[in-house]
Amino acid sequence: MSNEHAHAPAHDDDEHNPHLAHHFDTMGQQTASAKLGMWLFLATEILMFSGLFLAYFILRMLYPEMVLEAHEHLSKWAGGINTVVLLTSSYTMALGVRSIQLGDVKKLRLMLVLTILCGCIFMVVKYFEYSAKFEHGMLPGKFYSAHLHGYEIDGLPHIFFGVYFLMTGLHGVHVVIGLAIMLWMFVRAGRGEFGAKNYVAIENTGLYWHLVDLVWIFLFPLLYLVK
Amino acid sequence: MSTAVQSQDPHPAVEPSYLVSKRGLMSWLVTVDHKRLGLMYLASVMFFFLIAGILAIALRTELFTPDQDFMSAQTYNQVFTLHGAIMVFLFIIPSVPAALGNFFLPLMLGAKDVAFPRLNLLSFYVYSVAAVFLIVAILTSGLDTGWTFYTPYSTSTGTAVITATAGVFIAGFSSILTGLNFVVTVHKMRAPGMNWNRMPLFVWAIYSTAVIQVLATPVLAITLLLLIIERSLGIGIFDPAMGGDPVLFQHFFWFYSHPAVYIMILPGFGIISEIITVHSRKHIFGYKAIALSSVAIAVISFVVWGHHLFVSGQSELAGVLFSFLTFAVGVPTAIKVFSWVATLYGGSIQYNTACWYGMAFLWTFTVGGLTGLPLSTLAIDVHLHDTYFVVAHFHYVMVGGTVVAFIGGLHHWWPKMTGRMFNETAGKWGCLLVFIGFNVTFMTQFFLGHQGMPRRYYAYLPEYQVMHQVSTIGSYILAVGLLWTLIYLMHSLWKGEKAPSNPWGAVTLEWQTQSPPIEHNFHETPHIHGSPYDFPEIDKSAGALHH
Amino acid sequence: MAKVFLNGQPVEHPHEVHEHISPMSTYNGVIGALFVLTGLTFAVSFADLGPASLTVAMVVAFIKATLVVAYFMHLKYDDKFHLFVFLGTIIFVGIFFGFTMFDMKSRDALNDEQETFVRWKEQENAGKGLVVGVDNVPERRAKVLAEIEAHGGGHGGGEHGGGHGGGEHKAEAKAEHKAAAH
Ligand code: HEM
Ligand SMILES: [Cu+2]
Repeated sequence: MSNEHAHAPAHDDDEHNPHLAHHFDTMGQQTASAKLGMWLFLATEILMFSGLFLAYFILRMLYPEMVLEAHEHLSKWAGGINTVVLLTSSYTMALGVRSIQLGDVKKLRLMLVLTILCGCIFMVVKYFEYSAKFEHGMLPGKFYSAHLHGYEIDGLPHIFFGVYFLMTGLHGVHVVIGLAIMLWMFVRAGRGEFGAKNYVAIENTGLYWHLVDLVWIFLFPLLYLVK
Repeated sequence: MSTAVQSQDPHPAVEPSYLVSKRGLMSWLVTVDHKRLGLMYLASVMFFFLIAGILAIALRTELFTPDQDFMSAQTYNQVFTLHGAIMVFLFIIPSVPAALGNFFLPLMLGAKDVAFPRLNLLSFYVYSVAAVFLIVAILTSGLDTGWTFYTPYSTSTGTAVITATAGVFIAGFSSILTGLNFVVTVHKMRAPGMNWNRMPLFVWAIYSTAVIQVLATPVLAITLLLLIIERSLGIGIFDPAMGGDPVLFQHFFWFYSHPAVYIMILPGFGIISEIITVHSRKHIFGYKAIALSSVAIAVISFVVWGHHLFVSGQSELAGVLFSFLTFAVGVPTAIKVFSWVATLYGGSIQYNTACWYGMAFLWTFTVGGLTGLPLSTLAIDVHLHDTYFVVAHFHYVMVGGTVVAFIGGLHHWWPKMTGRMFNETAGKWGCLLVFIGFNVTFMTQFFLGHQGMPRRYYAYLPEYQVMHQVSTIGSYILAVGLLWTLIYLMHSLWKGEKAPSNPWGAVTLEWQTQSPPIEHNFHETPHIHGSPYDFPEIDKSAGALHH
Repeated sequence: MAKVFLNGQPVEHPHEVHEHISPMSTYNGVIGALFVLTGLTFAVSFADLGPASLTVAMVVAFIKATLVVAYFMHLKYDDKFHLFVFLGTIIFVGIFFGFTMFDMKSRDALNDEQETFVRWKEQENAGKGLVVGVDNVPERRAKVLAEIEAHGGGHGGGEHGGGHGGGEHKAEAKAEHKAAAH
């Protein structure tokens, strides 16, 4: 807390904690800052996605029949499987955080691997879904050509597929970023950087990953299920 | 004095200042010191202020005569767009928060740094990348959409819309990171005893600004992303030709951009609160009212955006509602203005340059704010929308408000930042030129607009010529004033007197360390026991440790 | 004097991090509930609920989201300020959605009609006030367009913009419009 010249009597050994950055006084302060920062970041993510959700709702309002017809072309099963996969990954991530709260680095690493695995499955399913859409010409905007592949959808389905690709695409980008972060955390955990008193990075990774899950919880019914 | 600081004398010469504690170019490029980053931002925003200012002078010169002089219509469109976009996104939004805020927020809180110093550095580089994008856009095919990027024109024009919007998109992230950093800093980094009621008003203002930055800017990001996608893929959300709704774009854009005008002005309010109280040697009138009205403004600013859509084809019901809500912003704004005036009343005012700017602000901002009211009146706006009246309104608040406050703040804190005093006489001349030049330029435009002169035209009817010429001459005076200011400030860096640690006798914490501050800000963590505005001569009980 | 401060306040036991650690049963229960709810929306989507399907799906999604936020993200046990940030964000999303939807929804009802119909009708009905958007909009619009055509497109412009003191009529018309809808 004091600078190098003045020495106040040390009440706690935080000052010698290698994880404590110079501008913080205590680990508690550092952790609380990191978490508040993360929640604010999540707020920005929510607001950013909200724009796409609003675009979706407006689309439904302007062209209800078209949306109903076009959404039938999305695979409920692929969406459903991905929902289960992503929920599971959230579960393993939460368990990962719990493990490190208890100081169990080994279990944390296991849980990270499982979470990463789920994320990869999600992306693979997405890949198959996307390629099917590409093959059928169900592409966004100007590139929409499903009618040339024998699919007649009344109205302006290119908007629906535009919104579909944007929403799932931006979500997918978040999944990929999440995977990269978890890989990084896996490496750091291997180096012994985390412990029962120092795991805010893991916790924040978890928060991020749960947010990705949250977005999907709304995307799935809106795009795939709702009539 | 109440902000009794436990460390006694700031020991000059014991420790080198932040400017020289590390040396070499690299020590600047990778610095995480909020003070250095503040200076780097200051240099950058000033650079863009200069560029966009030159563009403005070009515009005013073209308007000297009713006919085309040296710019074609197309060039004129490009120039006013770049002027607006650069001024808004690269100058005024980062100006006070990222430059002065970065420098003084941790100091005023008694902290060693912002909560996330490396994020702060990242934010600076993100800003730089954004600037590169905008410059590339200028150098390739330019941009002619206006700073508001309205569809469908922005999806059909042949200029570099994607590059430019990508730049603004990136600048948005820089703004978000800065805002996020500041919110956490205010919550978690306050020094012992610095509770919410003892925070300087500049901190309150920067805090409210940061909240808006965090809440509004993500929507700008998604809006611009959608615009980029609309333009490249034609997905049909905003583009009517593809089945979209252009008014929806305006909703998206103004959901960000109206709160953004408060990102621009709130920090200015904060500076004025500091300047007025320090230079009138009087405890600020209505501390709580000023502090909380900043927060109120931040919140209300999110429910008024529709006043930009009165004649865009928004539903009339929505128009009425937005008109009503817009008036509500006037209340917290007026509370501030009254409090400043009440602070001056009976104070022992020191008429120095910073204080002059504070008083200039009171006039210009009040004119700007008051002319917002006719604009928010639904029926009157039908006549005034897209005329020079609107141009005059927003220049009164943005230039007369934010920029005047910014320059005032620069003078107020110049001794602390650089360790040098500038020449007061030169400063007052500068302020006078700026004030006169500004009012001549823009007061005229209220009349022009009221008589029907539409904005964004390169040529006009001859009956407007006299007023346009007056306005152009005013803009030259303003430019001279600003250049003069630049010159004597630069001169002070080499020739200025050495600044004492507290030249104005202020009580807030940034003045309790040496000028310029040491790298870790304070020799010992300060402890705060009272209000930041209890000046020793008016509050004898507050033992003045430093006098 | 306490040496350690957080939020400007002294902290008594700075190195004790108080983190709530939930038992495994909580996590298992939550994931179970999430699966069940997913199954539920999935199954319901095959039933033909019509417009209600949106409501049902959204209610279920909100329940799922609440579970994730409260237990996986620990918001239930966390610093209350984080909850405030989260809920505050939702409120601002609500503002964004609310006003935009309000405009989009009320736009056809009033504005659209007035553009094509009111200004034009005003001259004819001078003194009688305006009748706005009462019923059968498309037919009326077609009629108006035909009339405009017949008059050589002379409606445009704001020549007779001012003073159509029509506030109350609008309200009336709206009430009528509602009645007609039932
Ligand atoms: C005192 C409260 C204020 C009120 C009631 C107000 C009201 C308005 C209204 C109704 C308009 C729309 C005019 C039109 O386009 O027809 C407007 C435009 C504008 N205002 Fe304000 N305003 C206020 C303060 C501010 C502040 C503090 C700033 C910036 C620092 C600002 C910046 C702008 C800008 C940039 C525009 C024009 C945007 C454009 O179309 O390019 N206003 N204002
Ligand atoms: Cu506005």
